[in-house]
Amino acid sequence: MSRIQGYAKNAYPLANFLAPLRGARYTAQLMKLIRELTFPLIAILAAFLVGGILVALIGDDPIQTYALLIGSALSWPDGIGYTLFYATPLIFTGLAVAMGFRCGLLNIGAEGQLTVAAFATAWAGISFANSSAWMLIPLTCLVAIASGALWATIPGVLKARFGSHEVINTIMMNFIAVGVASALTQTYFKQQGDPILETLPIGDGAHIPRIGQIIPGIPARIPLNMAFVVAVLACALMYVFLWRTKWGYEIRATGANPNAAEYGGISVKKQIVLAMAVSGGLAGMVAINEVLGYRYRYYQGFSPQYGFTGIAVALLGRNHPAGVLVAALFFGALTRGGLFVDIFTEKVSKDLVLILQALVILFVAAEAVFRRRMGKTESQV
Amino acid sequence: MKCMLSLIVVISILPACRPATSASADDKSKVHVGIVFDIGGKDDRSFNAAAWQGVNRAAKDFPIILRDVEPGDPTSIEPAMRAFAERGYDLIIGVGFAQTPQIEAVAKDYPKLNFAIVDGVSRLPNVASLIFKEHEGSYLVGMIAAMTSRSGILGFVGGMDVPLIHKFELGYEEGAKAVNPKIRVIPNYVGVTDAAWNDPVKGKELARTQIEKGADVIFAAAGNSGLGAFDAVEQYGKDGQGRAQRFVIGVDSNQTWMKPGFVLTSMVKRVDNAVYQIVKDRVENRPIGGVHVYGLENEGIGYAVDQYNKDLIPQPAIQAVEAAKQKIITGQIKVTNAMEK
Repeated sequence: MSRIQGYAKNAYPLANFLAPLRGARYTAQLMKLIRELTFPLIAILAAFLVGGILVALIGDDPIQTYALLIGSALSWPDGIGYTLFYATPLIFTGLAVAMGFRCGLLNIGAEGQLTVAAFATAWAGISFANSSAWMLIPLTCLVAIASGALWATIPGVLKARFGSHEVINTIMMNFIAVGVASALTQTYFKQQGDPILETLPIGDGAHIPRIGQIIPGIPARIPLNMAFVVAVLACALMYVFLWRTKWGYEIRATGANPNAAEYGGISVKKQIVLAMAVSGGLAGMVAINEVLGYRYRYYQGFSPQYGFTGIAVALLGRNHPAGVLVAALFFGALTRGGLFVDIFTEKVSKDLVLILQALVILFVAAEAVFRRRMGKTESQV
Repeated sequence: MKCMLSLIVVISILPACRPATSASADDKSKVHVGIVFDIGGKDDRSFNAAAWQGVNRAAKDFPIILRDVEPGDPTSIEPAMRAFAERGYDLIIGVGFAQTPQIEAVAKDYPKLNFAIVDGVSRLPNVASLIFKEHEGSYLVGMIAAMTSRSGILGFVGGMDVPLIHKFELGYEEGAKAVNPKIRVIPNYVGVTDAAWNDPVKGKELARTQIEKGADVIFAAAGNSGLGAFDAVEQYGKDGQGRAQRFVIGVDSNQTWMKPGFVLTSMVKRVDNAVYQIVKDRVENRPIGGVHVYGLENEGIGYAVDQYNKDLIPQPAIQAVEAAKQKIITGQIKVTNAMEK
């Protein structure tokens, strides 16, 4: 037992756990929370302002356009249902990228990890199609997580063992993933004569229920499914993992300062591999939504770059599970609203949404500049 | 703060500067028509462009409200259709056979709305299937190709390797063989996925390979990718008398204007007429479900002769093709439909 482990086990979680009970600590934490929220909110507001000016310059009414954007994203039941549905994969990929960031790694391979996971999940769903749902759903979910984790472990090991940079390796693995999945689909798993590059359907037992089947009043046409509940649970679990367990503490220590962590007795190499595996597992969970809950098959090109949008989600969510959840919901709402803006306005296209996303990220990234300025004025006072 | 204030001022003034936009978008008395294009987009100068032309002509002739979407990637097709359906659009048109499963899924959820699918076949009562006898038009352009070819070798560049495009290939080959039984057709396909419609570089590569093997007339049935074949024939230039060395045959829309002199003719598929007609049927409240077939007999399929290519095809050739056209319509010539083989 090293000193760090002892510290992590005793003092650290205890202090955190008791924090809300102490009045002064509580207000301090509240202030911290408000401070954490201020900048993303300002960034979103500023992005909408600039976006509004662009809309006006293009020649549409910004207020009507935003009313359409927000109204269609929050209408009941279709708007909310689709917003949550679009947010689900982004929660997973946002968490995946955030997990990497916490260990000082930039995992831009979430796209490849979720592609491999989706294919592997479909494979399991097809191969064991005759099993009962009690067997098949846990099995396919496990395959989704394990295959994503495995795909991410490869660049993790390469980084830990040989020091090759994870950015290069993960992005290369993305291409390999898409190539392998489409080749296998084309040769072994395609329906004869199907003009679309997709696998056979998975067994009925592997279908996870849609929310409409559980909560009455939500029409079954909305593809929102149990994967959303899994995603929210994943946020909670990731919080517990990072801030309440020894492994999480070691990962964060590695991310904060690998040299100090090494000196403190943490095996940095092990943490890199572990963080990449967890990150890949989270990215792989996208397959639960897409394969088990929505399409019931692997479909070539099913992901409109969830893995890369996940980077933006993690950035906006400040690499915190709660932040990721909120940011993913925001991006989900933008996706849903953007479609309606694209169709039902005269001139504005769905590129407005891309511009808004880019502006939000730009303003969030500019935060460091603001902070430095504020820090200066404070220190001058 | 000042900066923020000025932004707010600017944003509140800007809308006032312009005349109010037409707020007619929710005029419920009008028929609402939504069209969802294929991956190629409405400017592909071919298949989607024809559909776009058709709905626009309908929008001029009838008091309808028309909205369109270019999905860009296959995952946005179904949400776009659902967006129209949620808003209660009366007629939702999907362009391209690949959209058949999506439009069926949406049509099942909204049985009171009308749908139309171009090139696809659906059995749902509220979905109109607009299909074409491409094999017959391909037969006619195959005849023209065989009468033009000096080498006795023809090329065929297909988009996606699917039964629908095999229809073009087989009709083309049968037409060519009817003129010259010894003629050889070299068929190549751009790919096996949606991307095959939008890859002019590969299209050009295939056309050049075929030319190097001796082909001097190439039929490009490949959407946007076919435009690569246009570039390929242009590279081989014209001879002393100003006649092109190699020819290309366009598809879907009339493409003879694109490279005048190099485009022998186009196998015209009047997607515009079909789409126009279905909008008209909806406006006039006729039932629109079922299969609507467009062929030579109702001008749904044809070949192009206009000011750009009339000097390329000699008069006797036109007469022979017209004679064959009449025989196909009356059933004396039977062109094999590759999808019904």
